[in-house]
Amino acid sequence: MKTTFYLSIVIILMSFVLLVSCSDDEKQGDTTKPVITLNAPAEGAALQPGSHIHFDMDLEDDVMLGSYKVEIHNNFDGHTHTKAETGETTPFAYNNSWDVSDKKSTHIHHHEIEIPANATEGNYHFMVYCTDAAGNESYVARNIVLREDGESGEHQ
Amino acid sequence: MRIGMIPGMLVVCCTGTLHAQEPDSLRNVSLSEIVVTENYQYLRNRNTTLHLDVVGKEFLKEHFSGNLMQTLEQLPGVHSMDIGSGFSKPVIRGMGFNRVSVTENGIKQEGQQWGADHGLEIDAFNVEQVNIRKGPASLLYGSDAMGGVVEITQAAPPFDDQVFGEVSLLGKSVNGLFGGSVMLGVKKDRWFTKLRFSEQHFGDYRIPADTIVYLTQKMPVHDRRLKNTAGFERNASLFTQYRKGAYMSDYMVSNAYQKVGFFPGAHGIPDPSRVEDDGSARNMGLPYSTVNHLKVTTHQEYAWENILAQWDLGYQNNHREEWSLFHTHYGSQPVPETDPDKELAFVLNTFSSGMKVRFTGSSVWDHRMGWDVQYQRNTISGYSFLLPEYSRFTTGISWLTTWKPDEMLSVSGGLRYDFGKTDIRSFTDPYLETYLRGQGYSEEVVEKSKTRSFPVKRDFGDFSGSLGIVWVPAKAHLLKANVGHSFRLPGANELASNGVHHGTFRHEQGDPDLGSERGWQLDVAYSFFGTFFSVTVSPFASWFSNYIYLKPTGEWSVLPHAGQIYRYTGAEALFAGGEISAKVDLPLHFSYELGGEYVYTYNLDEHIPLSFSPPGSLRNTLSWEKKRMRFYVEHQYIADQNRVARNEDPTPGAQLFHLGAGFRIPVGRTDVELTLSARNLFNTKYYNHLSFYRKVEIPEPGRNFQLLIKIPFKKLF
Repeated sequence: MKTTFYLSIVIILMSFVLLVSCSDDEKQGDTTKPVITLNAPAEGAALQPGSHIHFDMDLEDDVMLGSYKVEIHNNFDGHTHTKAETGETTPFAYNNSWDVSDKKSTHIHHHEIEIPANATEGNYHFMVYCTDAAGNESYVARNIVLREDGESGEHQ
Repeated sequence: MRIGMIPGMLVVCCTGTLHAQEPDSLRNVSLSEIVVTENYQYLRNRNTTLHLDVVGKEFLKEHFSGNLMQTLEQLPGVHSMDIGSGFSKPVIRGMGFNRVSVTENGIKQEGQQWGADHGLEIDAFNVEQVNIRKGPASLLYGSDAMGGVVEITQAAPPFDDQVFGEVSLLGKSVNGLFGGSVMLGVKKDRWFTKLRFSEQHFGDYRIPADTIVYLTQKMPVHDRRLKNTAGFERNASLFTQYRKGAYMSDYMVSNAYQKVGFFPGAHGIPDPSRVEDDGSARNMGLPYSTVNHLKVTTHQEYAWENILAQWDLGYQNNHREEWSLFHTHYGSQPVPETDPDKELAFVLNTFSSGMKVRFTGSSVWDHRMGWDVQYQRNTISGYSFLLPEYSRFTTGISWLTTWKPDEMLSVSGGLRYDFGKTDIRSFTDPYLETYLRGQGYSEEVVEKSKTRSFPVKRDFGDFSGSLGIVWVPAKAHLLKANVGHSFRLPGANELASNGVHHGTFRHEQGDPDLGSERGWQLDVAYSFFGTFFSVTVSPFASWFSNYIYLKPTGEWSVLPHAGQIYRYTGAEALFAGGEISAKVDLPLHFSYELGGEYVYTYNLDEHIPLSFSPPGSLRNTLSWEKKRMRFYVEHQYIADQNRVARNEDPTPGAQLFHLGAGFRIPVGRTDVELTLSARNLFNTKYYNHLSFYRKVEIPEPGRNFQLLIKIPFKKLF
């Protein structure tokens, strides 16, 4: 009786080890996020409506980059306003993505993002998202301000 | 390779299973009664092929925290998924959300359990006894119980006719909590009635850090207290039971209300202006959530000579609201005229019925038959959208047979068929449509995106089954093995959610074509009960052919404030691990307990771990107990969790130290019970991998001193 009992315990434990070791030859999927180094615009940057944003960053991934996206939305609610003001100006919103696949690292520099001249002044969030080929995602959030005396975004 | 570490990892903690449960504190404690209760637990365990932890009054008192899951977390294999210091939900062996069921008096608790920041609406003061089933329990409880069940049951009524009651007081230093509960009961002839009212108020909780780093930005933590994490809860319940001969029935009405603030820095983009000191550690400003859970249940039972029939009926109304200062990214969306700051609200009505018939005529054969029906309806409101309105109907029939030829062996096998019908209403967002047009998206994208939820009508049906044995070759040994096939109907969130959840800041999207989740689960448990030493080892392994998880798709969302879309997707998945618990009686009234657990998860499609995998952990407790006093010192080791899913951060481990003491002081004709504890003695900064706040790098609460006073009283008629 006792022998049967201990034997059965040993068999059960061994089958567990066997069952689970089937996954030993696990291929390690990629869980490392890409790295975004956003050089411009800087945190708290004041930008001028009617200009192009000076955008500069480095992207890097250990396997393969996928795509990046820039998204700008107002942060009026962060303060006193709860709703966008109406009138001659329109709150600025921007959402666009670029393909950077087949690369492990890249330097991005462009002036493609245009702030319309009638954009409502105030606080905005400037978001950069980047994915790698596997779907790992990282993002950077910056607070920016749209202001008449802000930088025009052109190189001096 | 890594699995080879499991046996090494499995070294243990204090579990209620091995504890001698002290009987009702209202009665005099005598040795014979302790033996009786231990036998009861042992018997319960012998009668089920699944691993069962019976948690009694003494364990619940010693580890009381005002929060049921944070108490049960002391058991190996059980974790609590926390939302700040106040509310939590259960995770058993790495499975949470809709994969674990909580039942109270036989009725499954139904709230919005799919949400990571939604807690369990149960009054911790009102919990007298809990059974925890680890592993597939869908045969008994239906499709949502594939990961395990937390069963809350009532303690037996006192034998003599009497008026009795209890006053409990709770205080905590970490969040300035004060709480209390009053219970009054009457046992007279055939009637037994209990009334309870509880309330807890807490302030912002303390963390051992001056700043937290969120998205590379340093956010100040004023006074080391996490702003706006205060909250309160208020619960009331009435329970009454009637017995006459072979007939028994009980009725319960309970209401739980919770309100808790959210740390504003965890809502969206880090913005130091939102975490400025608001001058009060006890106020609850926006954002916050409220939830009210009303439950009415009844249990009817009649025992004929050879047949026992039981019927449970229940109605639940779960009303959850999330409030956040009105904000929109769509210029055309007006401020709502009523409740302008109500972001999301869900009202879930659930009707449940469960019938059981047990044939007890033979001592060798035992048959149980069950029929369950449940109907749910979810309605929504608020200025934001996440989950559509839906209705859901499920029904299941089951049969379980146990063959027990002698005292040494019992074999159980059962089969269950469940049928489910889900009807999801569509939802179109006109403000999003205008916004997308204004952004210059193509007509195709606008058409596709403006419909936030499509009408979905789906029928599901599947079998679950299990076969297990319990073998007792000698009195000191107990061996159990169980193999089960379980399935789970996809939830409405998995089929049709579509939006940015402020809790996760991800665009979560359901897939109306998802198949049901199914898998095979194998469990083994071996216990040895010696004179001075007892040990339980419980390994498990599960393989899912279709396991539903949130998969990052690499497709950019068109919604503002969102990165890529996360879509509910099925994958082949593997779970394995186990628990060990041991207790050694040492000389001079000392005893030593060990508890350990480990869970390994693996997504076989993506070759990566699954998210929310609990880290391995180990508890060592040395206690000293004599007559009316008990002291303990505990060391808790939490391993690093580096096995993470995509876009989940690894969590470093920690070493924590806890102290505790319990006293029973005779005052007049009663015993006043005092329980003192000091958790996280060295104010160690550490993270809980399963916490809602983990994502925003907020550490767990710091050092906490806690005092619980219980004053029971009774008067015999």
